[in-house]
Amino acid sequence: MKIVSAADLAAAQETGMQKIRPDRPRIAVGLATCGIAVGGNRVYERLQEIIEKEKAEIILTKTGCIGYCKEEPLVNITIPDKPLVILHKVTEADAEEIVREVSNGKVPEKLALCRVPSWDHITGCNIEYGKGFTKIPLYAKVPFFAGQKKVVLRDAGLINPEDIDEYIAVGGYAAARKALTGMDSEAIIKEVETSGLRGRGGAGFPTGQKWRITRDAPGERKIIICNADEGDPGAYMNRNEMESDPHMLIEGMIIGAFAMGADTGLIYIRAEYPLAIQRLKLALAQAREYGLLGRDIFGTGFSFDIGIATGAGAFVCGESTALVASIEGRTGRPHPRPPRLTDIGGGLWGYPTDLNNVETWCNVPVIIMNGSGWYAKIGSKGNTGTKVFSLVGKVDRVGLVEVPLGTMLKTIVSDIGNGGANGKHVKAVQTGGPSGGCIPLRMFDTPVDFENLNKAGSIMGSGGIVVMDEETDMVDIARYFITFATGESCGKCVPCREGLKHALLILNRIMAGKGTKKDIETLALLSDTIAATSLCGLGQTAPNPVLTTLAYFREEYDTRVKP
Amino acid sequence: MMHKESGRPAKKQVTVTINGKKCPAEEGEILLGVAIREKIAIPHLCFEPSLDPYGACRLCMVEVVKRGRKEMTTSCTLRAAEGLEIVTDTPEIVKYRNILFELYLAEAPKSEILKAMAARYGVTKTRFLKKLEAADTLDNKCILCGLCVRACNEIMGAGAIGFVNRGPYTLVGTPYGEPTKDCFGCGACVKVCPTNAVEMEDTGDTRIMKSWNGTKVPLSKCDCCGEFFAPKGLATAALARVIPSLKEEIAVLCPACRGKRIAQEEIRALSGGAGHHG
Repeated sequence: MKIVSAADLAAAQETGMQKIRPDRPRIAVGLATCGIAVGGNRVYERLQEIIEKEKAEIILTKTGCIGYCKEEPLVNITIPDKPLVILHKVTEADAEEIVREVSNGKVPEKLALCRVPSWDHITGCNIEYGKGFTKIPLYAKVPFFAGQKKVVLRDAGLINPEDIDEYIAVGGYAAARKALTGMDSEAIIKEVETSGLRGRGGAGFPTGQKWRITRDAPGERKIIICNADEGDPGAYMNRNEMESDPHMLIEGMIIGAFAMGADTGLIYIRAEYPLAIQRLKLALAQAREYGLLGRDIFGTGFSFDIGIATGAGAFVCGESTALVASIEGRTGRPHPRPPRLTDIGGGLWGYPTDLNNVETWCNVPVIIMNGSGWYAKIGSKGNTGTKVFSLVGKVDRVGLVEVPLGTMLKTIVSDIGNGGANGKHVKAVQTGGPSGGCIPLRMFDTPVDFENLNKAGSIMGSGGIVVMDEETDMVDIARYFITFATGESCGKCVPCREGLKHALLILNRIMAGKGTKKDIETLALLSDTIAATSLCGLGQTAPNPVLTTLAYFREEYDTRVKP
Repeated sequence: MMHKESGRPAKKQVTVTINGKKCPAEEGEILLGVAIREKIAIPHLCFEPSLDPYGACRLCMVEVVKRGRKEMTTSCTLRAAEGLEIVTDTPEIVKYRNILFELYLAEAPKSEILKAMAARYGVTKTRFLKKLEAADTLDNKCILCGLCVRACNEIMGAGAIGFVNRGPYTLVGTPYGEPTKDCFGCGACVKVCPTNAVEMEDTGDTRIMKSWNGTKVPLSKCDCCGEFFAPKGLATAALARVIPSLKEEIAVLCPACRGKRIAQEEIRALSGGAGHHG
């Protein structure tokens, strides 16, 4: 079936809604990588076995992840005219009880995390599930969820990511249709510009401006790329965005391609994300089948398709020029810019190329659908919209958190994350992965946005927040990140290749109790040099963990060295 | 305006300022090249005019004013534009450059050229642990500037050597550390190496690429004097591009004998065939 008209889209929406709210109970197991890792697949298989054996009138399906990693495996129960109920920490042993209760129109309340009477998928679809189960806490009352604002993750953990109909049911591809049939390139780019959307890969470059530069670059052919080479330790926002809602990314890319006049899109994804790759492939095939990719999309004459290119496990390939080199089959080493990707001769195969992060693309459909005015009201001035963070490390409530930009760090760590795990005190957080810095507790009133994190000596990065508690050794943390950066340095320029190596040797010496005061001075000077003189962003930001721990936790270094 | 000889539009002439000195340059010309022409010393290791800017050695950092802000950047990737102003030795640059020199001295402790270069900038010792490996085919002199790899790939099209591993484990070598058949023995790698790390030696009819795991390349023998001259493989590859009438004598004569023969033929022609034979 090809979707061309509004009626075609409405028909698919109807089909999808019957899958999300069927006329019989539905059990959906959270099967993103995180859910699978803690036994989600075993729960799914056991449920399947029992449902088949009992010939129960229950639809069993899968969903993505709603982000509450600590409570996995999560299982959603939808009983007609009742609220959607999310069960947590479900094991195979619970399967029989679940099937029995659900068959009787009930849910096992002791397993219930919360109930969702209605859910606003924002882009014109507000699902009213129903009333009842009043003993189960409301979704909005669960502290982990209460402080969040789900925009990018609005479907994650609620729809089946392997079924395009469910995405269409909650308003999917309506933005693409609106853009392609009712807007021209200029109008779309204007909308993205006025929304204030900035690149979610870390640098925060205005997305609309990048699109304009690409569109206006000389050359007949343009290419767009999605950067899905997420590699920061402790960061997995993009993985979940792709695993839980792959069509949102595809829709964003369709809109971008139309605006920039690109005929080819590529998703550069790390090979370490096999499930995301599998779901993206499936999603691309489904989108092609519906005519949402390929020739003459929505009957507009616009043709566009997306391919997948996998990385081979090099962190530096997230850097734009190294990424292009990797796709072209060359060694993934950065080169000095200009030429930038958007320049003719600088992009993929020489064509002007636009590169955006997964989450940046995922923000596009909602901006087009609800308008830039709606979007710009979220977040703070100059930092509009939400950002997804992976809140990990020694924090009580580990998970994916989506909040408006400009939210205080302490809101994320203390209110949503509930502070340190096992009642320990939080000492610092590392934002922005190995290129970020450690921000001490006394600075937790820092608003989390691009500029304020920079002021604190850290960076936004792709959105990892690693929490450290009172027992964390900050020198060891610095050593950990420098070890990572040393291993991931491509080896092209001397400050990064040799400088990081010697920084690591010095840190090892200090950790072994053999360091001197002079070593600390050398480490500071060396880190400063690496940051100032490296060729690409990897080297320029790699010393940040050392520089910030030296600035904020100097005493931990001093007590370790000989005078 | 058209260029008189080539017929191409001439490059626009601009004036750039280096350390307060006004220097003429072509628009878009690489700043380091301008500085070299003007005899203004900027240390550099990975720059080679016949290759694209690479920006790996980081020694040629200069200070440039961009959009009213002072910025440090490599002069080998900076292009000349009207009014561009750079300063080469600010205290900040000196501070960072000295650390880079120390890193180089630790990385390639046996390179005399490097030691001399660092000493010119006042750096005579390094506080960092020196890398000394007995098995290093480049004798602890390589600073991984990449010039040999790029000359081999981009100029010669041979691709006999490449970077192996990454990060601090990076080295330059042949595939699997074995002698390679892809090497023409042209010696471009030896020629471009800024630290004299790459070595080759001609013994009899064979050129030995000492740095490339003993790769051996047969040499052609001059029909006239009997000396071995060009590598056979290189000659074959080069001859494929040469007009047929020239081919024969280039293939069999070394440059010296060929020069001699041309001179003799010229004399013969001038003097009506009574040239000297020998």
